[in-house]
Formats: sequence, structure tokens, C-alpha cells
Amino acid sequence: MRYGGEGRSRLLLIILIVTSLFLITLDLRGVKILDGLRSGTQNVLSPFQKAGSTVVSPFRDFFGDVTHLGRTRNEIEKLKADNARLRNQLLQRKSADAELEQLKSVLDLAGRAGYKVLAARVISQGASTSFTQTITIDVGTSSGVRQNMTVVSGEGLVGVVKESYLNSALIMLATDPDFKVGVRIAGTQQIGILSGRGSKRADLQLLDNQKIVKVGDVLLARGSTNNRPFVPGIPVGIISAVDNTAGSIAQTATVMLYPNFSALGVVSVVLSAGKNNPGDALVPAAPQPTPVPTVTIFATPTPTATTK
Amino acid sequence: MLARQFSISSLIFLIIFLIQESFINQLRLPGGGFSLPLLIALTWAALSTPTVGALTGFISGFLMDLSQSSSGAMGHWTLLMILACYVVAFLGFGNDNVRGNPITNILLVSSASVLTLISFVITGFLLGVSFGSFSRVLITILGNGIWALFVTPLILPIVTRLHRTLFGNQAHI
Repeated sequence: MRYGGEGRSRLLLIILIVTSLFLITLDLRGVKILDGLRSGTQNVLSPFQKAGSTVVSPFRDFFGDVTHLGRTRNEIEKLKADNARLRNQLLQRKSADAELEQLKSVLDLAGRAGYKVLAARVISQGASTSFTQTITIDVGTSSGVRQNMTVVSGEGLVGVVKESYLNSALIMLATDPDFKVGVRIAGTQQIGILSGRGSKRADLQLLDNQKIVKVGDVLLARGSTNNRPFVPGIPVGIISAVDNTAGSIAQTATVMLYPNFSALGVVSVVLSAGKNNPGDALVPAAPQPTPVPTVTIFATPTPTATTK
Repeated sequence: MLARQFSISSLIFLIIFLIQESFINQLRLPGGGFSLPLLIALTWAALSTPTVGALTGFISGFLMDLSQSSSGAMGHWTLLMILACYVVAFLGFGNDNVRGNPITNILLVSSASVLTLISFVITGFLLGVSFGSFSRVLITILGNGIWALFVTPLILPIVTRLHRTLFGNQAHI
């Protein structure tokens, strides 16, 4: 060390390291006071995150939109059309319209299934440096939101309430590596377990090899006891690739999750499920191919000039 | 660090933590974005003595642990930040090439930020934390490194000024 007070410095370093190791030990042993510290911090942070959400919302999706450009031609065409349509609208109005659209679709989904839902705005996204996939919403225990409730968007399953605070709740997204949900394939009713893997694609492990799954099969949430953490019938995703490795005990597949997790503005927490299981009623309609217009050209031959 | 300096530093890092949680996390930046508390703590440490560096790491790491989106155990970030800031301060203290040359300082902070994240992943695995696919972790770490190269030059003058105000004429960048 290149300065005086070497002993004191080392002693301080040791004290700090021991303190942090002590904290880790307490946390791993499940000491409640540390959970209280985190939830207390979230309660304090919640108003700031709401204020931040209001300030940031007009340009929140700017970077996300830029990175998604060029993925597919259709998306670009759609973005161009959207851009032209929205050009004359105010920036704040654009944000409000998008949220309203998400709210309408999620209420439509909940209405078809008979779920009692509570709409919520996304006020924060988990820090990427923590390697988790979480969002924070602006409703909490004061609105009846409890741990292990299903969270949906208009497109399907978004995640599950991981922690609930007074006026906010932490949602573990379906993309989180720790996320697992029991699913069934619409139609065949074959069941399996879906696990998040940190991106929009998830892994599906089927529990038997009785029936062959195929690309395009739709997955729905199987539901849990007392509908928590998952209510039945929520669309989860669509199979995008099947692993047909010879000799494997169970079939595995890659699933493309339905929601657009990078553009979540409004979601809904399912407070209670309907009396009846919706079955396959919530399977999204398959996209209809856009008819290509056929143009028929009738050519009339020009009379040839005659020379006299 | 005197009690006054410690409390003012804590307040500064608390504000930085609030900015990160309320604004930066919501921007959905490509490549996973960046962590302002991590970058500012490392920059602050690079301008400080190892003792102050370790204390800075403790304050910032503890705040990062308090984040509700933190995946590790409470104290995980605290431990890593103490070590990272101590090492950065140790390398930077008395080294005019780091303290007097902004480019060296930026490179030191950016590489320290990447190494801290790698250490977080490795120790997280040992503690049983799930981080997702390897490619995702790689993208996040590389993205953070690239963001660090862009963001550190922007925060460096502010951090230097704040540090000089609080600790006297130690930093000269």
C-alpha cells in the first residue's frame, strides 16, 4: 500500500467484508428484517418511480423500437404505417393511446375468460445488471394485489406477482430464468412445464411422448390449485421449434411467448378467476394472410399505321 | 473518511440510486443499459484513497442490494462493490496516469465495471442464483461495458467536481 494508515485501512476493509458476508448469511437464512428493508425501500421508491414513469413515458420505447427495426419486413411496414398515422398526434397523446389499447385488449381477454382483473401501469423495469426479468406496477396490497397472482396483458401471460408492497408490486416476467409454469397444448391437452430463459423464447418440457407436438401449437396455462399462482386458460405462447432428439425421455420444444415484453405499458393482475375453466376459448386467432390483389391488364393492340 | 464526508457521500449515492431506479431503469436501453451507481462508485473510488474506496463500495453496494429487482442475496452487491472499489482505488491512488489522465480513468472504470459484473455472475452461481442463458448474460455484460465507455466520460467531470468539493484538492481530472 502506498500511503500511511495501512493497518487501519486493512482493518476497515476486513470489517466491511465481514459485514457484507454477515448480510449474505442472514439473507440466505431467511431473516425477515432484510425482507423488510427491501420492501420498505420499495415503498419509499414507489412515488419516485411513478413520477419517473410519467416523465419518461413519451420516449420510453424509443431505444427498444430502434433495436427492433429490421427484424421483419412486415414489422417495418407496420411501424411505417403507425409512424405516418401518429405523426400528427401529440407525444403525450401517443403514449396515452398505446396504454389505452393495451388496456382494452387485456380487458377483452379477461372478459372472455370471466376473470376479475385489476389494471395497472408499469412504472419501472428491473435493472439489467441484476440479470432478472422483472417489472414494477403501480398497484399493491392497498388495491388487493397479493403475492402469487397471475399477471396478463392483452396478448397473454406476462408473469406472476413476486412481491406485493403497499402501492406497488414486483412482477416476475415469464422470461425470467426462475419462471416456471404448467402448460397444456390447446387441442391435444398434452401437458408440460414451461421455463423462462431470459429472452422472449422459453423452453417447454412435455411430460410424456404420447403425442407429437408440432410447430404452431398454442400453449395455455394449465392453472394452479385455488388459481394461484396461475389461472387456467391464459394464452402463454406458440411452439416455434421442436427438439426431436432420438432416445429422449420427454419431448422438448422452444416456445415463442405471446406478449411483447419490451413494450409493456399496461397489464392486469387477475384478482380472481371465473367459475368455469375457459378451456381453449382464449386461443388467439391465427393471423389471416393478407390477400394479394390480382391485377388483370387488358391490352388492346394499337392499329398499325398504313402507308399510302 | 470523516463523518460529514461519509454522510454527504451517502446522500449523493442515495440520489444516484433514486435516479437509477426512477428514470434510467425505465428507458429500456439497448444492450441491457448501464448501472449509474456502479459506474459512479467506481469513478469515485478511482479518485479516492483505498479506505474511502472501500467505504464508497459499501454504501453503493448496499443501495444496489436494496433494489427490489436485485437477484442476489442481500449483501452480495455490497461484498463485490467493496472489493471492486477498493481495488480500483488501490490502482488509482498515487498513480498520476489514472488520476491525471481521463482516458486511463475511463478505461479503468469501464473494465472494472465489466469485471464486477462477471464476478457477480460467478459468485451468483455459487450462491444458487439463476441468470438465464449464457448468451443473454454475455450480451448484458458486453452491453454494460460499452455503455460504460460512453457514460463514464459524461459523468467524470461531475464526479470529479463533487469529489473535489467533498474531499479537497485530491482529484485533478
